[in-house]
Amino acid sequence: MSSSSAEDIPEQCKDLFTQDGVLLKSCIGRSINELNSIGMLCIVQNADSTKCVEWRPNDLITIDSDTQDQEWAVVNTIGRRQRTLSGNMTSDYATLRARIIKIPLSELKTFRVSRNNQQMQFSTKPGVWQMSFYFQHGNAEIFVAYLKNHVKTAKARNDKNTYIVVEPNRETQVLNKSFAELDIFTENPTDVVWSLVSNLRQRPYETTMEAFSKLTDIVYYGNEAMNGKRDVSEEVADLLTKSMSAMEDSTAVTRSDEYEVISVKPTLPPRPCIPRYALYYGNEAMNGKRDVSEEVADLLTKSMSAMEDSTAVTRSDEYEVISVKPTLPPRPCIPRGTPLSTEKWDGLQDTDGRVTEVEGVKQLIFRGGVAHSIRPSVWKYLLDYYPWTMTHSEIKNLQRRKTEEYFSMKLQWRSMTEGQESRFSEYRERKSLVEKDVNRTDRTHPFYAGENNPNLIVLQDILMTYVMYNFDLGYVQGMSDILAPLLLLLGNEVDSFWCFAGFMEKIAPNFDMDQAGMKQQLLHLQQLLTFASPELAQHLAQKDSGNMYFCFRWLLVWFKREFSHRDIMRLWEVLWTGLPCANFHLFICVAILDTEKDILIGKDYGFTEVLKHVNDLSMRLDVDKILSTAEGIYHQIVSAPHLTDQIRVILGLPTIGRSHTEDSHSDTEDKEASPKAECSRTNEASRSNATTNGNGTNQRVLFAPEADEYDRFIWPGEHNSNYIKTAKTLYIRIFVRWRHRLVSSPTEASTAKTLTYICPVATPTSFEPNGGFNIGSGTVLVYFGATGSVTLEYNGIQISVVTKTVWALLA
Amino acid sequence: MAKTYDCLFKLLLIGDSGVGKTSILFRFSEDAFNISFISTIGIDFKIRTIDLDGKKVKLQIWDTAGQERFRTITTAYYRGSMGIMLVYDVTNEKSFENIKNWIRNIEENASADVEKMILGNKCDLDDKRQVSKERGEQLAIDYQIKFVETSAKDSLNVEYAFYTLARDIKAKMEKKQEASNPPGARSGAHVLRASDQQRKPPSWLSRCSLL
Ligand SMILES: Nc1nc2c(ncn2[C@@H]2O[C@H](COP(=O)(O)OP(=O)(O)OP(=O)(O)O)[C@@H](O)[C@H]2O)c(=O)[nH]1
Ligand SMILES: [Mg+2]
Repeated sequence: MSSSSAEDIPEQCKDLFTQDGVLLKSCIGRSINELNSIGMLCIVQNADSTKCVEWRPNDLITIDSDTQDQEWAVVNTIGRRQRTLSGNMTSDYATLRARIIKIPLSELKTFRVSRNNQQMQFSTKPGVWQMSFYFQHGNAEIFVAYLKNHVKTAKARNDKNTYIVVEPNRETQVLNKSFAELDIFTENPTDVVWSLVSNLRQRPYETTMEAFSKLTDIVYYGNEAMNGKRDVSEEVADLLTKSMSAMEDSTAVTRSDEYEVISVKPTLPPRPCIPRYALYYGNEAMNGKRDVSEEVADLLTKSMSAMEDSTAVTRSDEYEVISVKPTLPPRPCIPRGTPLSTEKWDGLQDTDGRVTEVEGVKQLIFRGGVAHSIRPSVWKYLLDYYPWTMTHSEIKNLQRRKTEEYFSMKLQWRSMTEGQESRFSEYRERKSLVEKDVNRTDRTHPFYAGENNPNLIVLQDILMTYVMYNFDLGYVQGMSDILAPLLLLLGNEVDSFWCFAGFMEKIAPNFDMDQAGMKQQLLHLQQLLTFASPELAQHLAQKDSGNMYFCFRWLLVWFKREFSHRDIMRLWEVLWTGLPCANFHLFICVAILDTEKDILIGKDYGFTEVLKHVNDLSMRLDVDKILSTAEGIYHQIVSAPHLTDQIRVILGLPTIGRSHTEDSHSDTEDKEASPKAECSRTNEASRSNATTNGNGTNQRVLFAPEADEYDRFIWPGEHNSNYIKTAKTLYIRIFVRWRHRLVSSPTEASTAKTLTYICPVATPTSFEPNGGFNIGSGTVLVYFGATGSVTLEYNGIQISVVTKTVWALLA
Repeated sequence: MAKTYDCLFKLLLIGDSGVGKTSILFRFSEDAFNISFISTIGIDFKIRTIDLDGKKVKLQIWDTAGQERFRTITTAYYRGSMGIMLVYDVTNEKSFENIKNWIRNIEENASADVEKMILGNKCDLDDKRQVSKERGEQLAIDYQIKFVETSAKDSLNVEYAFYTLARDIKAKMEKKQEASNPPGARSGAHVLRASDQQRKPPSWLSRCSLL
């Protein structure tokens, strides 16, 4: 820490953030009469672009502008602060100047917020708080929020108000180590100092005692700093990857066997009277967290008790007619998967570079996102810049074409003369909007920070070129938010442009001139929420918030403002897959709102509070948890017996009026959006030898396994359909048998081929092109999930099966 | 639960994108300025309670997105506002010309008795100025609206502007209430009564109950 230094040329220093109304409460090495003076606390960028926290006393700032002192005249321009002006100090400039306190961020070790956001302490040395400041307006948290843009911090393990700077200059950290501990007790922990100063007079004894007790404020540097360097989630991801490969290794042992038999265990005791609820077997079993059967039993119990409250059972002669007050089935807990790894991605391309298993890839990405290192490549496909089916050489051609196209569009506006521009107001307006927003886009991120940052120019060029690409749409606020993470990741102007154009294609309705697209989404969101969480929807309606306008920001830029860059990349790539249904981004909204439901309803939040609460969720949301919740809600909704056409339309599902079978293989726009994976890759129908096992009751249908050359599911034949018709509950036991068969040599390229084995090859009656098949009165749809989950759907009942074999086969 | 304020005023900031609405609000509510602000998407508000002639007045100040396209959404929040700050940027001619449009926009969407004030922001940037102070003043005279040049960066006149607007609202409210009260009930200079009669005045006045 160095004190004093107004010798910096103010022109080149820049106040990045200024907070007025901050009193200096203590500072080691400063005399007592310097304390308790009011000033401003700033984050300053120095000429050499290093940064520091700087406190300036107000009397320094507010020296009258009639001063002749050149040096100070400049400081004067910082302003006359009316609200915090304290005034009448001596104008001994040298003294005042010496009172500036600077804490270079490179030296900052810890800081702490306390006393109800009124106090902030800083430390550049282990063990001692050197400075503390009092925030008149009690808003230290805002300063912290901005400070955190400039230093990477971790919270201290034992004190959530203490932030440890974890991106230090390693040299200084080492240097300071030696004597630091010794200083602990010789130097006055300054937290104590200011209370001493103010209290000593009135209560000498107590104050002294307090001072000693406050020695506990001393900070010890454990290995927090080291731990904090890595993100927890990164670590977890690592572990998962390791355990995945461990799993792959262990299953590789069984590879030599002819078959691998995975039996998905849950043997359920037959329980009557459960309507068509989804039995969702999550991944937990695989993770060893919980036995699937336990989970299912739980779900059943829950749904049973839910039923008791809300079901009126009417006995009719033939069937039990159960009318259920619209209660959703229990929400399955669906853990997130691991990101698509480099190895898998490489393996999913054939030798020419075509991505063969598009649905599989999308499923994988939907489950776990994409590993950061391959994002630049995968995103180009997800954003429809590269077609999945193109070979390496075709892509090269495409790139060449697209690069030319980009630059010719760029030239269109670059070559515009000033005179032309002056007579082209529509263009001028767009240009000025772009300029204004570029300067306000993610400037706290190092990639876009600082004056004259060349990346800002690229950002601007892309947006301007987009104006030419789509002049009618032009530039709309929010677009710079959409582009910024793309450019940040891809780095390249042309790639970023085309990916941006692809993303814009997906969200074009957000930017309609009349905002019709936004309004429709808000309406859909309201409908979805009403279905998923009627209580909350009702509350919002009562509070005049039924129009859901408070979710406007979420939807307009797809949550860009709510998450960090890291998290938004994850969320976006998941949403780009278009899985598991159309408008899944609305489920993200529902998931967030559902999480906040208790607060919103419990505290009886009204119109303004709801908006405030929702706005303030920004940067406090857990992306993985939300994705998982959203998927859970999705499953609840699609398996709800009372699923309405209104909701079906939102999800891109066929409406009830039309039959499942007819719509399931429509090749139109809902192809991408619908969950129906195209699995008809293997079409050899083979022997089917369905066995049915009543297992004592006719409510239990057992699907028995059959060994065959191909992997498949065996379903009961037509003659067993009665079981399904009459069963009030469908208990399904599934055995999946895999045959390990290599198409060619077990190289990377062929692993992709083995994916086809997850498709069913046999069906008792007939086979649907989408991979489903007919049994009895309806069609069983088969969706192949990533990370080895397979979902079977029959008449709205969904069963998910975890088959680790899917990826084991890839090993 | 004890109320920590006597009266709640809902205020609104409008004006073209980039004129500094959010910065002005941040200056007023946090007494701070941030160089790297982000554009406003949708709508937000901040609260500050001020002392006005002995009354604690809670100001709920709404900040809207400036771009025209979002107006269909943002105007939904005009309802119930008692005071509106019309902001332009003295370094941007266009934003000044647009004040007229914004006034029309208010007339269409806000209640008729809403108090208004025009702010010419960024007056610290004298070297980039495009709109003179005189022109601002003239515009204000034309519309009979109060006017002041501000700087969110240098904290110039921001406090003044909000206090002035709040005071005008309060004065208007007092006048109306006096008018509706029997003459005998009139007393001290700034004693405001809770809208005691259960009559329902059509405007926002009714919503502000004073203790
Ligand atoms: N020099 C100077 N710059 C200012 C002042 N007020 C705002 N700015 C800058 O002007 C830019 C726009 O300010 P904002 O407060 O974001 O503008 P806005 O009116 O809220 O814009 P929208 O949210 O897009 O409607 C920012 O970069 C601010 O730093 C000011 O008083 N002086
Ligand atoms: Mg704004």
